Amino acid sequence: MLKYIGFRIFQALLGLWFIATLVFILSRSIGDPAEVFTARNSGVDAREIMAAKLGLDRPVHEQYLKFLGQLVRLDLGDSVSNGIPVTQILVERMPATFTLGLVALIFALVFSLPLGILGAVYRDSAIDWIAKVMAFLGQSMPPFWSGIMLIILFAVVWEMLPPAGKGGWQSYILPGFTLGWGVMAGMVRLVRSSMMDVLDSDYVAMARAKGLPEAVVIGKHALRNALLPVLTYSSLVLGAFMNGSVVVEQVFAWPGIGTAAVQSVVRRDFPVIQGVVIVFGSFFILINLFVDIMYAVIDPRIKYTN
Amino acid sequence: MANTTMQVASPASVWAMRARSGLTVMRRVPKIPTAVLLILLIFAGFGQWIAPHSPVAVDMANSFSPPVWHEEGTANNLLGTDKLGRDIFSRLIRGARVSLSLSMFVIALGGGVGVALGLISGYAGGKVDAVMQRGIEVILAMPTILVALVFVFAVGRSFESVILILSPFLAARFARIVRGETLSVRERDFVAIAKVIGTPTWMILLRHILPNVFNTIIVLATLEVGHLILLESSLSFLGVGVPPPQPAWGLMVADGREFLTSAYWITLFPGLCILAAVLSLNLFGDWLRDTLDPRRRQL
Repeated sequence: MLKYIGFRIFQALLGLWFIATLVFILSRSIGDPAEVFTARNSGVDAREIMAAKLGLDRPVHEQYLKFLGQLVRLDLGDSVSNGIPVTQILVERMPATFTLGLVALIFALVFSLPLGILGAVYRDSAIDWIAKVMAFLGQSMPPFWSGIMLIILFAVVWEMLPPAGKGGWQSYILPGFTLGWGVMAGMVRLVRSSMMDVLDSDYVAMARAKGLPEAVVIGKHALRNALLPVLTYSSLVLGAFMNGSVVVEQVFAWPGIGTAAVQSVVRRDFPVIQGVVIVFGSFFILINLFVDIMYAVIDPRIKYTN
Repeated sequence: MANTTMQVASPASVWAMRARSGLTVMRRVPKIPTAVLLILLIFAGFGQWIAPHSPVAVDMANSFSPPVWHEEGTANNLLGTDKLGRDIFSRLIRGARVSLSLSMFVIALGGGVGVALGLISGYAGGKVDAVMQRGIEVILAMPTILVALVFVFAVGRSFESVILILSPFLAARFARIVRGETLSVRERDFVAIAKVIGTPTWMILLRHILPNVFNTIIVLATLEVGHLILLESSLSFLGVGVPPPQPAWGLMVADGREFLTSAYWITLFPGLCILAAVLSLNLFGDWLRDTLDPRRRQL
């Protein structure tokens, strides 16, 4: 197993290197890098300073090593539009994105656990159908549109919740729900199917046979075993949230990393978007790494030796 | 008894049996999703003859005209007009073409490459397989929307650049699943026999393995079109998708955001179109999977 974990870490590092290299190649291929990394109407001086900083007079492989060296030291350069270091921008915006993801995960769990469990226990009942409809809708609705529709209903028509921005706890509800709905689909299906597997198992039949009340059978014997795949899925979902948060943050004007990415595309602020991709990409890869290692540790039935 | 007949049946008689059971299967086709998909396909193919107006014709005198069921609405613009007076209904029809053709291109390009890689990876096994699988995992571990954001930023906004950046992600998903199927088909007797009689490898892949993973590919392609429409519309919404004035659905939603309270129809209908298209594809794909390939319910 140690060999497997070591291999997965190596693979994750390879992924990080791949993303960094991709960003480097893009930064050198869009145009004159000195122009890419300076503001649009900055003078010749600024461009020359930037050229010196990037080492543009050196051969490409030296520029590349310099770039990797700066990355390792977490130096992502300064924003073109306001001169603030990219690392600082990202650190300031990280908490907003992170808490939004957490709220979305809570929403997804709060809805999909009961719906999935009841759907499995009372197959083809009304609740099973509600769960299916919720799941299919969540899977098929573009989050940017469902977010806007929720804003119209809850903020404009009923005036119950703030339409956008980050403020009190109320402001988390709409964006959190929008982001969570997308993954609810997979979760409801997962809870339902793993619950159904467990309900058909011998030990549940045994628990019933010895006369335990149905609530205990489901709550204690079945649920605990059905939850393991859901836990694994929850951590994977965090990765999906990174993709979703770019869109959802944009809809709700949420001051997180996703909004920073989109704004930097509009302003053609390459250093910021480069930073966002590297940071998000690293998170994504590290979460996947963490899930795989957890899987290997938790489930001894899986053997990873080739 | 029926089972033994099935096993020794020649391919031709299997097809005959399938044709006979075909009628029964067609009766169970999910009707509403199929109808929605047919309408969308007709819109995409023959949109220019169906649409009452040009999707890009600006008519400032007629901007923000509401749908027909409002008092000020006219039958001239069934679903109203946007801020430039462009007809929403005509733009939706044209948008079907943008979304579907883009997805088809990505399926053809990314899916084609993915199927080829999956076949090779699964059939070759060993080091080739290991290297390819690690590469695929690296691609699958990257956040699609962000990578697409940077890529389009770098190469510019166009129909082609969206296809180019989405294709590798799709290829990776196809390759992974086709490889898994290939692994099991590879062990079957007819492949061993083909090998013994000296059939070239490429022919084994094309004639013996590909037909046996074809059902999986069809199901995956159907489900992935829905996924691609969501991705494409998200990119359009973020302003890095198909460039205007092409009426992409995601872009139309973004256009209407400023006028939510005064002109909801600009935002509502394109979103409903995306929802209807993706929902129908998911339902149809689920049905197709249960019909063609009951073993892979987890797909």
